[in-house]
Amino acid sequence: MSFLQPFLLWGLLAASIPIIIHLLNKRRHKTIKWAAMQFLLKATRESRGKKKLRHILILTCRALGIAALATAAARPIVSGLLGWGNGRVDVVVLLLDRSTSMELKPGDGYDSRRKVVVEKVRDTLKDLGGARLVLIDSASGQAQDVPSPEALTDLSSTAATDTATDLPALATKAAEFLAETPGRAEVWIATDLQASNWKADDERWASARAALTALPQKPSIRVLGLTGPTASNTSLRLASSRRSGDQLVLDMEISRAENARGTVNIPLTVNLNGSRSTESLTLNGQSLRFQKRITLPTGSDTGHGWLSIPADGNERDNAAFFAYGPNRPIKSIVVAPSGESAGYLQLSAAPPGFGNQSVTRLDPAKAATLATSDTSLVIWVAPLPTGPTADVLQSFLAAGGQVLFLPPGQGSDTTFLDLKWSQPSEAPLGKFFILKDWNHDDGPLRDGIDGTQLPADRLRAIKRQIPIGDAAPLARWDDTEPFLVRRIVERGTAWFAGSIPDYTWSNLGDADVLLPLIQRLVAVGAERFDASYLTTVGSEGSKLLPGETRTRLDDYGTPDPANAAYEAGVFKLGDRLLAFNRPAAEDGPEVASKEALDTSLSGTGYTLFEQAGKPGDSAVSKDVWRAFLIAMLFFLISEAILCLPKKTVESSLPTRPGAKATA
Amino acid sequence: MKYDFLDSALLSKLGSLPVESRTPMIGNVAGKHKSPHRGSSVEFAEYRKYVAGDDTRRLDWKAYARSDRYYIKEFEADTNLRAYFVVDTSGSMAFSGKAEPKIQYARRIAASLSYLLVNQGDAAGLSVCTDKLHLEVPPSRRPAHLDRLFTTLGSLDPSGDTGLVPALHTIAEKIGQRALIVILSDLFTDPDQLADALQHLRYRKHDVCVFHLLDPQEIGFEFDRPHRFVDLEDGTVLVAEPNLIAEEYHTALREFLTKVRDVCHDANAGYQLVTTDTPMEELLRGFLMGRLSKRKH
Repeated sequence: MSFLQPFLLWGLLAASIPIIIHLLNKRRHKTIKWAAMQFLLKATRESRGKKKLRHILILTCRALGIAALATAAARPIVSGLLGWGNGRVDVVVLLLDRSTSMELKPGDGYDSRRKVVVEKVRDTLKDLGGARLVLIDSASGQAQDVPSPEALTDLSSTAATDTATDLPALATKAAEFLAETPGRAEVWIATDLQASNWKADDERWASARAALTALPQKPSIRVLGLTGPTASNTSLRLASSRRSGDQLVLDMEISRAENARGTVNIPLTVNLNGSRSTESLTLNGQSLRFQKRITLPTGSDTGHGWLSIPADGNERDNAAFFAYGPNRPIKSIVVAPSGESAGYLQLSAAPPGFGNQSVTRLDPAKAATLATSDTSLVIWVAPLPTGPTADVLQSFLAAGGQVLFLPPGQGSDTTFLDLKWSQPSEAPLGKFFILKDWNHDDGPLRDGIDGTQLPADRLRAIKRQIPIGDAAPLARWDDTEPFLVRRIVERGTAWFAGSIPDYTWSNLGDADVLLPLIQRLVAVGAERFDASYLTTVGSEGSKLLPGETRTRLDDYGTPDPANAAYEAGVFKLGDRLLAFNRPAAEDGPEVASKEALDTSLSGTGYTLFEQAGKPGDSAVSKDVWRAFLIAMLFFLISEAILCLPKKTVESSLPTRPGAKATA
Repeated sequence: MKYDFLDSALLSKLGSLPVESRTPMIGNVAGKHKSPHRGSSVEFAEYRKYVAGDDTRRLDWKAYARSDRYYIKEFEADTNLRAYFVVDTSGSMAFSGKAEPKIQYARRIAASLSYLLVNQGDAAGLSVCTDKLHLEVPPSRRPAHLDRLFTTLGSLDPSGDTGLVPALHTIAEKIGQRALIVILSDLFTDPDQLADALQHLRYRKHDVCVFHLLDPQEIGFEFDRPHRFVDLEDGTVLVAEPNLIAEEYHTALREFLTKVRDVCHDANAGYQLVTTDTPMEELLRGFLMGRLSKRKH
């Protein structure tokens, strides 16, 4: 609670007047010689307790009545954001979440959550006045003074962005700022509590907490949680894009709220180098993953475009941007001795009809000559590499390449990435190792985009080698031994599969499993070339290098030049062509729980306002002087009632006793 | 008049009203009051059988003629009245709130009634009591006696605790013949002890009359600010907020008055609660008329 006329609070001292008068009256007694002392003593004895309490209540009512009047005169204000909190604040540090999810509207016809909370903060500070406002927005992460609350809504640093928010970093920044700023401070965290932004498990919360609580004047922390109902929203996301000859293959995902029901047709607008076309998508359920193939104009080396769906509850998650470069041949290398196995593998890596895919075989003896600079996939059917060859493969993996290791045919203690092959084992006569369990959502054996499963259970092996070491299994034999494991190395992945396409080993060469497995690895490996055209807003790769300037190329929406660095779109950064998209985590519906907040901010005594973004509740601060006037009336009426003489029993005391003579 | 408690105008107004006794009196001279003995007045009392030794002059011959039996015709005997005024001079009688002091009011009652009594040939005496003093002026019919009685009344100086109850017991023991006992007091004593004293007087067949004197302020107990109350009798001090305890005070007073009235009623004593702002003429006329009417019935 704050006061518009705080100096009138001195009037509270007047509350002591009734008590002072009472005390003075007690001292200002008159002396009288009295005869009927026996009744006086008895009355005094009997009037203690109840009477005294009544008298105290009367005095209390008088004092409180005056106090309520003085408080009402001081124009008290209760703020929805401040609650019945503390009094004067010297500095308010506003941590503003400007992530894409903050553009979600609380309801149809309302402004976005970000806009609602910014206006609320503005109105609150305007009502309260006096406090210094410092803004730390999630996009820039920099602290800046806001000269006046009115300016808050006009600042470019409170505008919408397509970034994600790193709340632990913002909290740390606030603590650093307050360490250098004396005075009574409050930290207001305006966020939609999106779990991916809050990062409750992040270790940086511990240091932020420690820094905040160690400040000389511990700040009050108020979390303005912008949760609650929202307008219906559908989001469009680009998972990946790659050029395949004269086609651009876009893996898209469209999703809507978890409580959405029924089938809807959504118009999808495709813009390629300024040319627009529209088609209809049918969405049944909560999400749809689909592949969009765009035929590129003949002779088009580079280009860009976007896909969009109509405006809805969040206008910033309706578009996905892409860019592409010249067509690149996709190269794979099979390091294997010649034979049936090498043949199947080469065929799977560059099947006939896939003109831009090529494969070369390298004999293991010449593995030292391996060159991987333009290679997408290396298939290694040889003893695990050591020495310089291992270093080459490590670098290849770190750069985003894919390496598939297949059994060399004999066991060895040689390790690569702390993984090694077991001794070969054979199935009992007349029996097979059968692939039983594999990951349907992740990895190269995942189900297709349309949900079709790979017929991986057809894989039968009579001979196998087990990858041994710390790696994530993605497929297992029927005896639970791993068939396929994965080890991620920076941007690339090393895969270990436990059999080879050789009739003395398994039916892997039947192509039911081998072809999709190899092709998916090739595609992932090739993305390291196409991925250079895609980036995420706010990521390291999206930043300008020295000497570069940023130029927006696409014509989607209404760009804000002041926030170009934080917006999705297609940009030219110097000579680089990049399509910026919002972080995928921004589409996540998970909200940080109260327990998560308690964990993150334990010991700070934070206050959570869950309905800070509630639509229609525009008044953040309320003038509550009327309530105090009513309280004053209540106290005065109570005092009057308490002062009323008690209904006495009809007195038998005669006023003119002369008439009461009895014989 | 040289006594400020005597009002000649009032006395002349009340002169036509006799002071009557409610019970037969035994006096030493003939008077206007009924006596328990049979005498020679004009008032017929009763017939009784003749017994040897009776005065034959009092035989009712007409009754003998009718019934052939001897009857003695008896008549009421009239005698004079002796009145004792018992005045409480304890410290509490000095209180004066909104009216004159209670002791002054008591003086006026005692003096006026004494005058009327002596004037009609009856005797009036005075008994003054505190815890330390018991002064008596024996009753006398002589007009010159009034001067002594008034002088004594005028010299009364209330102080100390009340000695009313012992004084009443003393009077009951001391006065052999029936008398009118007029008590003038605020009765701030133990009602049970007072009851004993009154019963003692009743046993002695005295006609007891109690004027219970209280100041209007003692009954109303109306004050506008805290007061430091000092007891007139023993000097006890009490600081109190009268408004806060008024209700309890009135309750205690009411209980006391009820008890005192009941005590007097049980002892067949005439009880009259008098506030000291009551006009004297009204009070005395009511008192005298009340007693007169008793005689007629």
